[in-house]
Amino acid sequence: MWKTVYAWLDERIGFDSLYTNLLDRPEPKTTWWNTLGSASMFLFILQGLTGIFLTVYYTPSPDHAYDSITYIMEGVAFGWLIRGIHHWGATLMVLVVFIHMLRVFFTASFKFPRELTWLIGIGLFLATLGMGFTGYLLPWNQKAYWATTVGTQIAGTVPFLGEFILKALRGGPELSALTLQRFFAAHIWIIPAVLAALMGLHLYLVIKHGESHFPTKED
Amino acid sequence: MNDETKKQINERYERELGKGERFWPDTLFKDLIMSLGIFVLLILIATFVGIPAEAKADPSDTSYLPRPEWYFLFLFKFLALYGQLPLIGKIEWLATVVIPTIALGALTLVPFIEKSPHRHYSKRMLPISIMIIMVTGIVLMTITSEVPTVSEDGSEVLGILQTIAGIFIPVVAYILFFVFKNNTRLMLWTTSLAAVSMILLSGTVLALAPEKHGEEVEVATTLVDQIVAGQDLYSIHCTECHGDDGSTGIIAGVEGLEGEKITPINSRDVLYTITDASMYEVIAYGRPNSGMPPYGKTYGGELSKSEIDYIVILMRYSWDDRFEAPVIPELFPPLADGEVPSYDVHIEPIVKRYCISCHRPGKDNNNYLMTTYEEILTTGDHAEFNIIAGDENSYFLQTIQGTPILDENGQEIIGIMPPGKLLKPNVVDVFLRWIMNGMPKTAAEAGVLFQTPTPAP
Repeated sequence: MWKTVYAWLDERIGFDSLYTNLLDRPEPKTTWWNTLGSASMFLFILQGLTGIFLTVYYTPSPDHAYDSITYIMEGVAFGWLIRGIHHWGATLMVLVVFIHMLRVFFTASFKFPRELTWLIGIGLFLATLGMGFTGYLLPWNQKAYWATTVGTQIAGTVPFLGEFILKALRGGPELSALTLQRFFAAHIWIIPAVLAALMGLHLYLVIKHGESHFPTKED
Repeated sequence: MNDETKKQINERYERELGKGERFWPDTLFKDLIMSLGIFVLLILIATFVGIPAEAKADPSDTSYLPRPEWYFLFLFKFLALYGQLPLIGKIEWLATVVIPTIALGALTLVPFIEKSPHRHYSKRMLPISIMIIMVTGIVLMTITSEVPTVSEDGSEVLGILQTIAGIFIPVVAYILFFVFKNNTRLMLWTTSLAAVSMILLSGTVLALAPEKHGEEVEVATTLVDQIVAGQDLYSIHCTECHGDDGSTGIIAGVEGLEGEKITPINSRDVLYTITDASMYEVIAYGRPNSGMPPYGKTYGGELSKSEIDYIVILMRYSWDDRFEAPVIPELFPPLADGEVPSYDVHIEPIVKRYCISCHRPGKDNNNYLMTTYEEILTTGDHAEFNIIAGDENSYFLQTIQGTPILDENGQEIIGIMPPGKLLKPNVVDVFLRWIMNGMPKTAAEAGVLFQTPTPAP
C-alpha cells in the first residue's frame, strides 16, 4: 500500500530531483558560524507557530489586550510557555540575525556572486526589527506603551515628513486603539508576509550559489 | 569586476567544493543541532526566567521612565550623547535621521562600496576595522544605556566620559583608518587601541554610575494577589466613607461629607446592575455631585489603571454572590501561645489594612502617621503617651480597646480607634502583645522574646 502511494506521489512530484537539487548538494567545509542563517529561519518558524497560538486568545484592543495576556499567562494551559518562547524568541532572533550579518560581513561572503543575497538579507534584518518593534506594543503594558511612545517620537523628528510618519504610525497624534490595531496588523500579517517572501528569495539564492567557503590567505 | 576575475572566483569555489562536504547529511546536521539547542535554550529561559510582570499601560503616568526595546537602547544612548555635543547637538534630526540613514545605507550598499574581490581579512583591514569599532560602540552603548549623562549632583563627568567613549574615539579612529588604510600593522594598532580605550572608559563609567534604585512595581498577576492588592487599596482609599464592607449608607466622621447619604456599594442592586467597566469609571472619574472624588491619575487622583482594576476585582469577589472567591491567605499568621508579634510580619499588614487610610499625610489624624515603623512609634501630638513599651495604659492600647482618652475637664481628645467599629479581638491581641513586649521590628527580634508558656499544672 505505502509503495503504491509513494510511487504515485513520486510520479507527480519527483522525489529524486528534489533530493539531488535540495539535499545532496556539495558544500565547502562549513563551521558552526554557518548555522546562524538556518537558526534565524528556525526562530522565524517558531515565532510563527507560537504567535498563531497566541492570537487564539489575544485581543488587540486597549481595553482587553492586557487582560487577555494575563489570561494567557495564568489561565491557559501552557500559555506561559508559549508566550515565554515567543517573548524570548524575539530577543534571540534579533541577536541571531545580527550575528549572522556580522559573520557574513567579516568573512566577506557578500561578494560576487552573492551581492543580491546580502541586499535581501538587509531587508530581512530590517523586517526582523520591525517585528520586534510592532510586537513590543501588543501586551499594552507600561513598558510597551512608553517604548512605543518614544520610538514613534524618534520617527517623528524626520524633517518635513516627520509629522506625517508619526501620524501614520500612530494612526493619529497620540497612541490609541488605532495604534494598537495597526501594529497588530503589521505584526501578524504585513511584516511576516514580507519576511516570508524575502526569506524564500534568500534561500533560493543560498541554494543556487551554495554557502561561501571560509576565506584563507589565498582569497 | 571583469569576467576574468569572476571566472577565477568560480574556479576557486569549485576547488573548495571538491574538498568540502555534502549538504545532507553534514551541513544540515549542524544546522539541526543548532536549532535544537536554541529551542531547548528558549524552553529553559521561558520556564526559569519567565516574563517580568508589568502594570497595565497608563497614559496619564508621566513619571514612568520610557525605555525602548533593548536592541534600540544604543540608538537612544547615542541620541542622548549626541545631544550633549556643542552646536550640532541642537540639530536633532541629524542624529535621528541623517546619521542612521547614512549608516544603514552604507551597510546595505557594502557589496557595491567594497569592490575588491579579496575576502581574507588581511586584505580588507579598512572595512573590518570600521565594523569592529561600530559594533564595539553599539554593544558598549547598550550596556551603559541606563547610566545617566548628568549625575544627581549636577556633575557632567559621566556624560563627558560617555561622549568620549561613544562618539569622540570612534570618530578619531575612523579618520585614522582612512589615513593608515594601506598599513596593516598601524590599522591593527589603531583598532585595538580604540576598542580597548572605549571598553575601559565604559567600564569606568559603569563603576562610577550611581547605584540603581530598585523601583520595583508590585504587579499582581494571580487572582489571589489581585484581590489582596485590591483589599489593601480599598482599606486605604475607600474604607473611610464606604466602610470596611461597603455597607455604609450615611457617611460618619469624614470632614466635609458628614451625614451624606450614599448607596451601599455591596448591595445586589449595585453589583448586579453595574458592569466592571462602569465601576471602573465611577472610581476613576468620581461622582462629582455626591462628594466622591476622582481616583484615576488622569483625573487628579492617586490610582493607576491596574490599581482601580484590583479594587473592582475585590468588590466582585467579596460581595457579588455570583463570584466564588478563591482562598485568600490570612492577613497575618496566627499567634501561638506566648509568641511575640513583630512589625514586619504582623503589625505592618494590619496597619496597612485598618489604620493607614486616615493615618497618612494629609488627613485629620492629630499628626499621627503610621506608614513606617519609626512613624508609628514617634509621631503624633501625644507621642510621649501613645506607645510605651510594657505599659497597658498606652493611649494606643486604650483607644483600640474602646476607651477614649479624656483630658482633665472630661473632654474627649482621642476617640476610640478605629472610629466606628473596633478591631477583631485577635487583631487587638496582636497589638497588645507587641506593645507589652517592647515593639520588636523584625521577626528575629520577636523570636528572641518567644516565651514557652508554662504548662498547666
